Amino acid sequence: MSGAVLQPGLAAATPRGRAVSWQKTAKTVAIVIGAFLLLAWTVFPFFWILLTSLKAPGDILSVPPKFIFEPTLDNYAALVMGEQRGNVAASRPDFPRFFLNSLIISTGAVALSIAAGIPAAYALARYEFKGKNALAFLFMSFRFVPFIAFVIPLYLIYQRIGFYNTHHGLILAYQLITLPFTIWMLRSFFLEVPSEIQEAAAIDGCTWFGVLVRVILPLSAPGIAVTVILGFMFCWNAFNYPLMLAGRQTFPVTVGAIQFISYEQVLWGQMAAATIVAALPQLLLSLMVQKYIVRGLTMGAVR
Amino acid sequence: MSDVAIAPRRRRRRGWALPYLLMAPALVLLAGMLYPFALGVYYSMTRYWLQYPNRFRFIWFDNYLDLLEEPLFSRAFQFTLGFTVAAVVVQVGLGLAVALFLHGRVPGRAVIRALMLMPLMIPPVITALMWKIMMASSEAGILNHMLSWIGIDPVNWFGSINGAIVSVLIIDTWGNLPFVALILLGALQALPTEPYEAAKVDGAGPIDTFRYVTLPLLMPFIVLVVMFRAMDSLRIFDVIYATTGGGPNDATTNLHIMAYQYGFQWYQMGKGMAQAIVLLILVVIVSTLLMKLWNKASERTVN
Repeated sequence: MSGAVLQPGLAAATPRGRAVSWQKTAKTVAIVIGAFLLLAWTVFPFFWILLTSLKAPGDILSVPPKFIFEPTLDNYAALVMGEQRGNVAASRPDFPRFFLNSLIISTGAVALSIAAGIPAAYALARYEFKGKNALAFLFMSFRFVPFIAFVIPLYLIYQRIGFYNTHHGLILAYQLITLPFTIWMLRSFFLEVPSEIQEAAAIDGCTWFGVLVRVILPLSAPGIAVTVILGFMFCWNAFNYPLMLAGRQTFPVTVGAIQFISYEQVLWGQMAAATIVAALPQLLLSLMVQKYIVRGLTMGAVR
Repeated sequence: MSDVAIAPRRRRRRGWALPYLLMAPALVLLAGMLYPFALGVYYSMTRYWLQYPNRFRFIWFDNYLDLLEEPLFSRAFQFTLGFTVAAVVVQVGLGLAVALFLHGRVPGRAVIRALMLMPLMIPPVITALMWKIMMASSEAGILNHMLSWIGIDPVNWFGSINGAIVSVLIIDTWGNLPFVALILLGALQALPTEPYEAAKVDGAGPIDTFRYVTLPLLMPFIVLVVMFRAMDSLRIFDVIYATTGGGPNDATTNLHIMAYQYGFQWYQMGKGMAQAIVLLILVVIVSTLLMKLWNKASERTVN
């Protein structure tokens, strides 16, 4: 009997339940499609460039584009060994040298910025002094200045004093990128060290130097590491300054990669290989500092 | 007695100088940045042709006045502003959508989030070259091939005026959408839960909740990303330089590209520098306005 009473209720519940689960399925499908589209939009260009870099010249410009082909490492070999790099020997892109240049300039620029930035950030984080905010703001403002306003006079000065097409000239020019960033990032990390610990150290007889070396630096070591890595990445990405201030001997990978475009032809395969090689350090490093990238790009404004 | 009286004074004096001494290395580098800039401002008021150094003359504001009569200048000015508005609207709009999407329950969210850092951190000029390969205008280009799947005719990406503008916008969006999305996603995940509970109690639907709770709370972050994106879009250079070079028919020439052309293609350093200063003034005006808006938005949220 009771079963008979229950039956109508069940019968009524089932269609409604089906409707709900149908909506749920539609929503799930929409989310999966959305996730797939987002993923494809993000990853496909990398995938396609990787494929292009593994193609022989005949496969690259085939119509329709080939997804399946016989892969070759010729483009990478050409990049390293210098085969088929263009018709004129003197104008051949020397990619291993560009890579080395990127390493030298980026490392030098970051080292100089860290050396000057640590005491400066310490002063900005710990002391009150006249002109402090104006100075901090001045450094921040470099983030927004059009590079051309600096590169024209720098080019003229560098030509005159022999800094054009030198590593040290570029390292100095890159301070426009790294120094403001380094100071603001380090300052934001130094501010996170509790002031009680610093005061306790000062009471125990530590000078400003002792507080900096024994308290601040050890406690913000991870922050300094992040600043170094991100600063290195921003230098690696730099294109404008070396485009105008470097020559063939000092081109970094960013300027080097466009050397595969010439009036006669575009070496698509080698350019694809060059973009992969130029991007690779960035991809590896960005995995290391994942959590801090947003903070770095906004100079500490967003944590 | 005199010793006791002198000691604190001396310490105080040293304390006064200490922050400046700490800042000294950074200030030296800062001077090294400001000197070329000041020199550049001076050059902007000179006739300075690199090939004809003996024609060098101080001419007050003639370079600036000449620019006003230049037809290309007003076109470049319009393109700079138009592109900035389009880029900010598209990137912040899509970025907000992506952030809201990833804020929900999405399969593989952590993976998508990590992969989205890749376009963000590779050199912009490398991004441009990657898309240049994909946007080959013949049917050998993968993008045109994919468009043919959904029945769209091949697009002449860099060769036509509209195609070039859209291409630059797509490439810039690919590189910077993750910046907007990740900042807004971080902000969404850090929002307080109380307003949402209150909205639920009041029986607000999802659209009302978004309109009256999420959006106002998110506003300071939206203004912040608008500020960063506007500043970068006004100064966009790498992507245009590596893809369209400002063409076709100067359609993608913005103030930055035009300043570069004056300086490094026509070697009129004075005019190039005047261009750079005009762009800088534009950037300062826009950033000041947005900064004010940001202060207002943050105050409102605090209240």
